[in-house]
Order: sequence, then structure tokens, then C-alpha cells
Amino acid sequence: MRRWLVGGMLMAFGLLSAAQVVEITFWTAPNPSQEVFWRQMAEAYMAINPNVKIVVSPMPEVPTSEAGILAAIAARTPPTASENIFIGFGEQLARSKAIVPWNTLPGWDNLVQNRAMNQTIEGWKFADGNYYIIPLYVNAMLIGWRLDILRELGYSQPPRTYSEVLAVGEVVKAKYPGKFVWLRSELEVPTWWQRWFDFFVFYYAASQGKALITGREITADDQAAIGVLQFFKTLRDRKFLITEPLATGFELGRTVMTVLGPWTFPWWRENYPELVYGQTFVVTPPPVPDAYPAEKPVFTFADAKGVVLYAQATPAQRQAMWEFIQWVFSNPAHDLKWIEITGMLPARDDVGTNALFTSYIQEKEPALLPYAQNIPYALPPFAHPEFVEIQELMGLECIYPVLVGELTPARGWDAWKRAIRPLLVK
Amino acid sequence: MNWKKDVGGWLLASPYVLAATVFFLIPLGWSLSLVFYDWNLIDPVRQFVGLENFRTAFTTSRVLYAFVNTYKYAAIFVPSVVVAALVLALIVQHLPRLKQFFAVGFFLPYLASGVAVGLVVRGILSYDSPFNEFLRATFGSSPRWLRDPTLALVVISAMIVWKFAGYYALIFLAGLQGIPRELYEAACLDGAGPFVQFRRITLPLLYPAFYTVLVLAVGLCFGIFTEPYVLTGGGPRFATHTWQLEIYYQAFDRYRAGYGATVAVLNAVATFVSVLIIRRVVEAWGVRRGFR
Repeated sequence: MRRWLVGGMLMAFGLLSAAQVVEITFWTAPNPSQEVFWRQMAEAYMAINPNVKIVVSPMPEVPTSEAGILAAIAARTPPTASENIFIGFGEQLARSKAIVPWNTLPGWDNLVQNRAMNQTIEGWKFADGNYYIIPLYVNAMLIGWRLDILRELGYSQPPRTYSEVLAVGEVVKAKYPGKFVWLRSELEVPTWWQRWFDFFVFYYAASQGKALITGREITADDQAAIGVLQFFKTLRDRKFLITEPLATGFELGRTVMTVLGPWTFPWWRENYPELVYGQTFVVTPPPVPDAYPAEKPVFTFADAKGVVLYAQATPAQRQAMWEFIQWVFSNPAHDLKWIEITGMLPARDDVGTNALFTSYIQEKEPALLPYAQNIPYALPPFAHPEFVEIQELMGLECIYPVLVGELTPARGWDAWKRAIRPLLVK
Repeated sequence: MNWKKDVGGWLLASPYVLAATVFFLIPLGWSLSLVFYDWNLIDPVRQFVGLENFRTAFTTSRVLYAFVNTYKYAAIFVPSVVVAALVLALIVQHLPRLKQFFAVGFFLPYLASGVAVGLVVRGILSYDSPFNEFLRATFGSSPRWLRDPTLALVVISAMIVWKFAGYYALIFLAGLQGIPRELYEAACLDGAGPFVQFRRITLPLLYPAFYTVLVLAVGLCFGIFTEPYVLTGGGPRFATHTWQLEIYYQAFDRYRAGYGATVAVLNAVATFVSVLIIRRVVEAWGVRRGFR
């Protein structure tokens, strides 16, 4: 009888303990290295917090990660939180009340302070004044140059301005008629997100970081935008830019310039070990108009994504996730681990100045140093729920007609502005 | 109705009835209800817009491109695949041995992944491919295969012909094998040559196979997706855009479930009407020529 009583008590205690365990789910980007990082974080956290069970899994891509998230929300099976959310998609989720503003949770200011995000976080403020996304990483998009080829052509450093790039093009074509300055086959394709990696990069550089769209208004620097379009067209007309599909360009030395994100370096190490930073290639900010002051910083586009908390989670799950997120982001060692595992730079103000990060980058991956230094000048995409159509129309109404000579750069730019105005007021 | 007598039949049919209900009837009803709403799948409020989605679909150039391009695809694809399939079937029919082996061989492209084939074709047509290098070395330039609106349409149509020719050839082959040999022997005794035999015996007696292949091929043109998605994304300037691409972009790129459903319904109507017309035309042709 006594044995039964003790057994029953133990079972009841066990059930009570199990009931107190909060299970939360976290979806990572469908990228193995990011999944490894979050699994390690979750395991370390669960080791010191046994009352929390964190299930980490990559988000489904059916057919895109955004569509996978929408499908999960519609089916009422979203995770508690997920990463891989950029500000445009976040705006759409926020408008549908599918995510929770982080800044309404207690301790938000401390988190911003602890992670050194005071400056970075400003680019992530939504139109309603809230912060729905904690920025996880910021990949400044910079320009890679084949230094070995430039040296063969008599240059000791990459060109800085449009005229200097065109001059390099003349020399490239004179010596190597089969080579090009830049391969960008996507310029003729209207796929919306491709604009992040061509027009946005050059536009932010030319306009000193002026926003294309603010709220419901077009706030772009027209002259800078038209200058970028003219630059693209001149490159193409002189056959310095190839817009046809080409298997490999920069890596095999068929082109001398490429728009480059830091995620490329681990792939290069595996597949093109001959590409060595400082010897065969260097990284610089994007080329700028000739009149651009040399002493001024050059802005660029930032491929930046972050973490959101879903509104369908229970209050207990939200609280547990918030505590986990605070634990992850309040320790710089975790951000260092992020760099080590993913090769991408955390969204911190001090990543280019904090010795913890700079010493690692200098020693292990010096090519990341310009990326760290350019984070303050790397701007995220604009936040508007119609981002897909707005960016698609840029390709359809502006870039393609300008490239093939149907419209002048000025008319192409006006055509895009006219086409997106009805969308902006939605 | 005698339920006791019918229960066995219902039991046997139940897997199909269940699958059709879950995967066809319920989604169909759901889609039909969505066409009246502007909704992104997650917003707690579905905005009723009446017939606004239809008005948008009828006035936007994207849907018009999809509509017109389908007939452009059909104009290239249908005659090409019918000729290719018929030629393949005749070749296999006249093989002295290993007929089954070659019939299955020609059928294999139908089973190949469209994405994988698309990537291979993209590699073959890329600027630096050996094929284009050869063209430039020989003729001084190479075509902009996937950047020229007409060429891109032809390339995609050719891919689909390659994929389906073997499949339709099996239909023709079955038709050919059903033609009695005595007819050819009699024609031969009457002095008819191979061409006359083909025109007077093979073609008329293959009418049922032609009918099937034509209806299938026309219907297929309304469902083209993978090839333009992988190769051109519907470009350049919508030259290769299709109904399915438009539905995909609206539903999964722009998250407009209501509008995507509207385009899908219009696609279904266009497919139904087009297939109906081609059926009537082929039937009328068959009656006029005495094939039916």
C-alpha cells in the first residue's frame, strides 16, 4: 500500500513537472549553417532552463519561405518565433496582426542596449512606431573586383566612379574581347527580389542612402536613380555588361566585377580556393557618380533579416520565447558564434569596432572586414506591403525598357513612378 | 435505390470519392468562394470585393499576356508534337525488334523532372556553353536564346514537345497496332504505294488517336508552368508568361489568394471553352472526311 502511495505521488509529481515545461518552436532559415547555430543556442539554453523545451527546425519552402509561413499561419500552425524575415514581409505580417511588437515586451530597451543595436535598430522601425523584427544579420552588399585581372590591365586598385569603371571596360575589351566588366543576367528579368542585388545597391550608393519610398510617398533622389540607369545602359551598350545567362563569370575571370555578399566566401573556399582576398580579389563599396565627393561614405543595400514573434503563440510561449531571445542576443559571444558558423555579420553597431569581432574577422576571414566596416552605411529594403509589385514594376517598366533602348533613363524612371503610385496608397 | 446491393460498389469507389472530395471538390468550392474576396490568407478580416477581382483580371495586361501566349504555345506545340509523336510511333511500329524497349525509351522524357531538364537546357543555351561558343566561332554571333521574345517561346515549346512526344507516340502506337494488316496487304495488291497507304489507311484509321492527342495537347497548353518558370520566369516582357505562372505569382509571390483564385477560375473557363472548340472542330473534320 505504501509503495503504491509513493509511486502515485511520484507519478503525480512527474505529471506536474511535465505540465510546467513550456514547449516553444523556432523556425530557422532553410540554410543548414543557420539551423546549426540555432540548435546549439537552444541546446545550451535548455541545459540551464529545463522547464523550457525548444524545438528548432528549418522553415518549409512551399514554394518560398514566405509562402510557407503564410500557409502555417493560415493553418494555425505557425512556430512561436522564426528568423529569416525581412522588413517588407514583416510589414505585411504586422498589418495582418500576425506578429507581436517586441518593444511592447518588458526589457526591450535593455536588449537593444546589451546588443549594441541603438543605431541599427532605427532602420527597423515600422510605420506605426513599433519594432516587430529583431535584426539578426546585416549583409552589406559590396562590389568584388578581380584584382589579378585589374593588375594585368595596369590598375593597382579598383575603379571608384562610373567613368573609371567605363575606362576599365575599354581596357578589358581591348585586351580580352571575350571578357566583360559585369555579368548580370537578372537585370533583364523582372523577379522582384533581384532588384536588391543590382539597382538598390547602385542607387543607395549614388543617392547617399536616400530612401526610395517612405511610408506611402516616393522619396527617391531622381537624379541619382536616372544616373544609375544611364550607367547600366552605357555598360550594356558598350558590351561591358552581359545580361545573357552565363554559367560562371567572376569566379573564372570572365568578368572583373560582381555584386558580392559575404555568404559567398564559404562557397568559394570549397569550390574556388584560388580566389584569395587581397591577392586575386578585393571588396569595395559600389561605384558612384563622378561628382560624388571622395571623402563621403558610400551607402549600399543591406540584405538584412531578423526574428519575429507570432501572435498565435500562447502568452506562456511568448514569454518563454522572449526570455530565450533575450538570452541569445545579450551575449556578444553568441554573435561571435553566429559569425563563426554562418559567415554572416550580426546586426550590431559595434561589429566593425568591437575587438571581439574584429580580431576574429582579421584572423579567420579578412574578406569580411569591409562588410563589418560598411554595416553603418548598409540600408535595409523599404517597408511597404506592396513590395513585390513595386519592385517587379521596376524591372518591367523601367530597367528592361531602358536597357533595350525603348525608353530613355529619365522616361523609364518616370514610368516606374507612375506605375507604382496607385500601389503606394493601398 | 437498393443500398444493400450497392454497398459493395460504394465501398470499392470510396477511396476515389474520398480523395476527389478532399483534394478536388473542397478546394474547388474554397476557390470559388475566394474569388469574391481580397485576402492574403492570414489577415483576420477578409475584405468582400464582389466582382472586383474579375474586373482587375479582365483589365490587367498580365492575364491578357497569359491568355494570348497560351494560343501562341498551342500554335507551335500542337502541330509539332503531333508530327513528332506520329513519326516516333511509325518508327517504333516498323522496328523489326525491341519495339517495347524503344517505346519505353521515347516515353522516358515524360517522366523526367521539368526543373532538372530546365537547368540542363539553360546550361546548353547559356552564353558560354560549347554550343554557343561553336556558333560564335562559326557565324560570328550566337542567338539570345532566352532573352529574345520569339526565340524564348520557341525554346520552351521545343522542350515541351520533347517531353510529350514519346507519351503521345504511345497513343499513336496503340492506334497503329489496332489497324488490321489485311488492309495494307489488300492495298498493296491494288498497287497502292507507302504514301497512298499512309494517307488512305493509316491516317483515317488513326482518327481516334488524333482526336485524343489533339484534345490532350490543347489542354496541356493551359497548364504550362515548370519550363518558363525555370528558364525565363515568364519573360522577356511576358513573352513566355502563362496562366499557371500568373496564378503562382499572385498566390505565392504577392499573397493575393482571392485574386489568384479568380485567375485560376478564368483559366479553367478558358481551358474548358478551348478544349470544347477543338473537340467540335476535330469532330466536324472527322465527319466531313468520313472518319467518324
